[in-house]
Amino acid sequence: MDLIIGGAYQGKLEYAKNKYALSDGGIFTCAEDGNIDFSFPCLYKIQEYTLYCAKNGIDAVGVFKSHKNEWENGVLICDDIFCGVVPLGKELRAWRETTGRLCAYLSHEAASVTRIFCGLEQKLK
Amino acid sequence: MNVLISGGCKNGKSAFAQDIAVKLSGGGRRFYVATMIPYDGEDRKRIENHISDRSGMGFTTLEIGRDVGSCLDIAGENGTFLVDSITALLLNELFSSHGGEADPEAAERCIRGLDRIIRQAENAVFVTDYIYSDAFRYDEFTESYRSSLARLDRFLAKECGAVIELCAGSAIFHKGGFEL
Repeated sequence: MDLIIGGAYQGKLEYAKNKYALSDGGIFTCAEDGNIDFSFPCLYKIQEYTLYCAKNGIDAVGVFKSHKNEWENGVLICDDIFCGVVPLGKELRAWRETTGRLCAYLSHEAASVTRIFCGLEQKLK
Repeated sequence: MNVLISGGCKNGKSAFAQDIAVKLSGGGRRFYVATMIPYDGEDRKRIENHISDRSGMGFTTLEIGRDVGSCLDIAGENGTFLVDSITALLLNELFSSHGGEADPEAAERCIRGLDRIIRQAENAVFVTDYIYSDAFRYDEFTESYRSSLARLDRFLAKECGAVIELCAGSAIFHKGGFEL
């Protein structure tokens, strides 16, 4: 699995499409509705799924662990939301925490970790 | 040569950019393109601090809040232009003529001006702010501001020969490199 992280609007999806020759049909874009389909080769906006998890008390890391055989050869894309002040709202705090734990787990499992900064790649692993 | 400098707020990007601009310019002319339009005493104080920080470094200050490419009409192409900051420039362009409404053409206008500087100026150093990694849900206007600024950043990162992220005053080179 290749993990791509970076701040909002940095060009992560565009990078992934070029790097892995992904078609639009191969990309599952998460929304805050709790749906996630691990059968897609690329999961995008994972931070939207973790926001749903944080709001609904779902263990996102547990969900990912139980589907590992489905994503372990895929491309996972998540926003880096870890550099601001501690959010005042309880849900946003839980969101940051959950997303951070998930990214740490995925980063450990990943064959490669790439951060995208202003459209440029930075190899982290 | 063109250089983009980004990074979190308040970690010395402007001072770093000034040093780079002095270095790039050699003995040549140096222009500080100040894009911030002051709105209150706090802004004016920040501007005073920046002016005193760069005193004695040989910069001629050009106050250009909009139409950033016009710095070349004033100063000519021969010289090193430090544009500080892209963040303020975009904000000014967003509210240029629409009486409170954000102008949807603002980002495109910024890109045209920046492109002109990249193509024509002898050297340029651009300072922007990295505001993309916090855990917050912003209103629609702020999100559109963030996505537009990111668009300018990505454009500059593509066009500049060196891209540097500053972290606590230390440089991370994302592209290019030179002796600091």
